[in-house]
Amino acid sequence: MSRLDRWFEGMTRQTARRVSRRNWLSRFGGVLVGGAALPLLPVARAAEKHTLGEDGVKGREGDPTRCEYWRHCAIDGFLCSCCGGSHTACPPGTAMSPVTWIGTCRNPADGKDYIISYNDCCGKTFCGRCMCNRNEGERPLYHWYRNNDINWCGGAATQTYSCSTAVVVKVAKEAQPEK
Amino acid sequence: MSRLLALTGFLLLAQPASAESYEEHDYLLNCSGCHRMDGTGSKTVPSLLAMRELSAKPGARQYWVQVPGAAQAPLSDARLAGLMNWLVARFAGKPPEPAYTAEEVGQLRGSPLRDPVARRNEIRRAASR
Repeated sequence: MSRLDRWFEGMTRQTARRVSRRNWLSRFGGVLVGGAALPLLPVARAAEKHTLGEDGVKGREGDPTRCEYWRHCAIDGFLCSCCGGSHTACPPGTAMSPVTWIGTCRNPADGKDYIISYNDCCGKTFCGRCMCNRNEGERPLYHWYRNNDINWCGGAATQTYSCSTAVVVKVAKEAQPEK
Repeated sequence: MSRLLALTGFLLLAQPASAESYEEHDYLLNCSGCHRMDGTGSKTVPSLLAMRELSAKPGARQYWVQVPGAAQAPLSDARLAGLMNWLVARFAGKPPEPAYTAEEVGQLRGSPLRDPVARRNEIRRAASR
């Protein structure tokens, strides 16, 4: 133990002799402030647009934790990717409802329309984070066939709604005609 | 090079499958949300596999188009006729004979059922053709 102590003491004394405290403080401060300011630069903001996200889509439309994610075009609910799950899996403690709202969304990366299944996760109280209410292609309640204001947990073991996923089923033949 | 080709092949295969036909597309978009991908339904939604036990009964052919899910689907008569031909072949065991036409489907949609469940029981009780 004493050998370790001696080694550390030697190291610290040597550093103290070589590096001035003010020099170190000013450099460390520079790193802190500079690091925080980096994302404010236009370069960083431009780079964000070009980072490849999920499904080969760039920017916010490729980020499953954002409402702008391309698969969320007809969603109405809390995003499971913000609630301890992901855009394809339920958070722990909840189960995926077998009945689901289905629509089509266009993937900006390949320009194709995909059939998306918005399976709800049920079993815990509503998540409350990342509310996303885009509802593209939805119609008022009198078109019950194209209205998603239904509790889709009706088909699950428990009817408590927690959050929604966005699962790709297949490539669609055409966009949903109501859009 | 061969490794790269194999990887390319794998990535191509890993792409989501495309709906094979407009019938399958229409089924996925308009039916599968409640009846599920395999037609088994749920506690509250009837299973399409039960179409098999009605298939030989008189009135079943008309009933299948008149049920709310089919009659009120946001599809044209021609698309619904195509979907029904596909759906009956898949779930009732054999394709409808003769095949549904847009005219027939349009006519049947015009006379909706007041009580679909009662009508189903009526058909089920009837003698087979």
